[in-house]
Amino acid sequence: MNLEGLEMITVLVVLGLFVKVLEQFRLFEPIGVEDSTEDDFELSTVCYRPEGLDKLQEQTKFTKKELQVLYRGFKNECPSGVVNEETFKLIYSQFFPQGDSSTYAHFLFEAFDTDKNGSISFEDFVMGLSIILRGTINDRLNWAFNLYDLNKDGCITKEEMIAIMKSIYDMMGKCTSPCMQDDTHREHVESFFQKMDRNNDGVVTIDEFIESCQKDENIMRSMQLFDNVI
Amino acid sequence: MAAGVAAWLPFARAAAIGWMPVASAPMPLAPREKRRAQDGFIILNVSGTKFQTWRSTLERYPDTLLGSTEKDFFFNEEINEYFFDRDPDIFRHILNFYRTGKLHYPRHECISAYDEELSFFGIIPEIIGDCCYEEYKDRRRENAERIQDDADDENNKEGVLPDMTLRQSMWRAFENPHTSTLALVFYYVTGFFIAVSVIANVVETVPCRASPGMIKDLPCGERYALAFFCLDTACVMIFTVEYLLRLIAAPSRYRFVRSVMSIIDVVAIMPYYIGLVMTDNEDVSGAFVTLRVFRVFRIFKFSRHSQGLRILGYTLKSCASELGFLLFSLTMAIIIFATVMFYAEKGSTASKFTSIPAAFWYTIVTMTTLGYGDMVPKTIVGKIVGSVCSLSGVLVIALPVPVIVSNFSRIYHQNQRADKRRAQKASKEAGQAFLNKTNLSFEKEHHHLLHCLEKTTNHKFVDEETYEKNCMEVSSVNPPGSHCSSISSQHGLTSTCCSRRNKKTFRLPNSSHAGSLQELSTIQIRERPLISNSRSSLNAKMEDTVQQNSEHPYVTAAIISIRTPPVTSPEGNNTSDSPDYSQRNIVKVSAL
Repeated sequence: MNLEGLEMITVLVVLGLFVKVLEQFRLFEPIGVEDSTEDDFELSTVCYRPEGLDKLQEQTKFTKKELQVLYRGFKNECPSGVVNEETFKLIYSQFFPQGDSSTYAHFLFEAFDTDKNGSISFEDFVMGLSIILRGTINDRLNWAFNLYDLNKDGCITKEEMIAIMKSIYDMMGKCTSPCMQDDTHREHVESFFQKMDRNNDGVVTIDEFIESCQKDENIMRSMQLFDNVI
Repeated sequence: MAAGVAAWLPFARAAAIGWMPVASAPMPLAPREKRRAQDGFIILNVSGTKFQTWRSTLERYPDTLLGSTEKDFFFNEEINEYFFDRDPDIFRHILNFYRTGKLHYPRHECISAYDEELSFFGIIPEIIGDCCYEEYKDRRRENAERIQDDADDENNKEGVLPDMTLRQSMWRAFENPHTSTLALVFYYVTGFFIAVSVIANVVETVPCRASPGMIKDLPCGERYALAFFCLDTACVMIFTVEYLLRLIAAPSRYRFVRSVMSIIDVVAIMPYYIGLVMTDNEDVSGAFVTLRVFRVFRIFKFSRHSQGLRILGYTLKSCASELGFLLFSLTMAIIIFATVMFYAEKGSTASKFTSIPAAFWYTIVTMTTLGYGDMVPKTIVGKIVGSVCSLSGVLVIALPVPVIVSNFSRIYHQNQRADKRRAQKASKEAGQAFLNKTNLSFEKEHHHLLHCLEKTTNHKFVDEETYEKNCMEVSSVNPPGSHCSSISSQHGLTSTCCSRRNKKTFRLPNSSHAGSLQELSTIQIRERPLISNSRSSLNAKMEDTVQQNSEHPYVTAAIISIRTPPVTSPEGNNTSDSPDYSQRNIVKVSAL
């Protein structure tokens, strides 16, 4: 490197330092730098209050005391008043330690979140519970159908049923007896469709579903299990 | 499972509606439970301050005083309240623990008072939440040290304990000079001789007045050679004796020999002996001179006498990475500037920058702003580079120094905290086990829920060992012929669903494994592969005991069931053999 090249480099370095000094004094704003706007101050907590107790009592079939107990439990776990999907999955997974309950919890979340705003408020929660625990058998079957019908188009296709069945089997986890095969749930879906799909068109509509369930003794009996949960 | 999540159990059971239409087997019966009375208030009167809460809040932790029937001892009929003659301020925190599930430690409270309250109410302190746990442990440690110091002073005043051997008392005297006057004397004598030796080393190089008859000045060491030699011999004698005595008295000689202080001792006295052995040979005298340099290491023997030196050494050791980074960045800068300087000054005549390594010296002197002036650039470019070099030198050296200084204290404290946390981890697990106890009806309902899931999918929960065994024997059609799984297929469950569940629920809030803490378990069934424990018969047993002890709503203790004989009909039939079942096979272990 000869001296002239080195001189040029040092001159450039000195120029660069000069520009930096000018920038410091804000006499020279280089183009292309925008003022960073201040971040919007996001409220870190979202507070949500449910409707009044009387209104909820009209809309659901719970008594006032039951609603109070339910709300206290709800608020304890979710002080902000709404449950988002993550919290929902976390809570549900604590009951099923051996398996992976996140998919089924996701389906449940979709079923409870009736207004589709991405979070379950106390009203959604209590309405859902009211149907399941205090509704008629038909209401309960309707609710179950709504749970299975993932895209809410009025009929259950085989793919939807396979997804649901897989999520239920996932909750069992790995360590089961007999060993879980890969297509256990598919066989289960096949037998389900055989039982439910009357006209063999590959989908189960709400009428077929209710009709088939009413004919099945076991299902009817199991629906009555929910009378005494609360 | 957190107490709050227990409140969501009805929801989980309701959500099971999704399994019903697809179930392949009939569902088990729901647990029959008496319709519990509406949740009522309970008033706790603590030294006049009244606290009110729901009964179910207190029932969340059945293994404490307030959660169990032990509080009945404090029920006062006259005022119809539970009266406790304790501190209401601390009780506030204890009651908050029931409400929120987290125990906090208030900083203004005395640690021993707090500990006493916790132990009175049957709460183990390991469950203190993370926010307050550090503080709690620090205060506790300080307190323990203070007590220990007081005890030590007592001990020291008493003198030698009767059962200490001579060797142990010698070691104690060496390590703590304040224990006896003899040790103190020894301490001061060695300190004095270290100082004398170092001063002699320094003085013997000073030029003394020439003795009459000599022309030039001699160093004092050569003039009064004999005197210095005698002094040196005396010091080395003392050091050798001290080293040998320490070696004899050390409880672990191997560890003593490897310790830093003993190495310093050896290095300090070796040159003398090597000098004795070697003759006045021209060849080796150069090496001999070098050895004498090591005599200066005697000054490090002072670190036994000075706490500060020891701390400094330790912090330097722990800051080594920071120092290494500083050195590395300095080296980089030096090389860059030396190179540029060399090429800049290459053209000038009679340049002192003969090579890049020669330019290193200039760069170091400039960057540390010493500026000796023995090498100066003469060209303009060289001067510019030189000025940039000195400016950047100030930055490069000044910047990391405060970082290092703050790192010292941070790393020092962090090291202490990491060690503390490791020691505390085991006790934290104990705390988690304590927290995860729940009451019995909750367990029953949860069992029923899991049982429903099994029925839906027509598979059963098993533990890992049985699962592995089953999957090994894929050939046989039926569930393989281990006794337990055949029983389990009849009964609907193998044991360790519950223990596994307990373990897994520990895993969710924090990833610690509580399996080792057997003595703090509630319904924790031991993981022996041949144990089968029917959950439905567990339900039956529970109901039975609940029915029998209708006045005591809780079966408070841990229940460990041993291997049960096969019960023919799984659900609902609990009358026939449950009495002797309960006596024979239930081992009640109280956790507290």
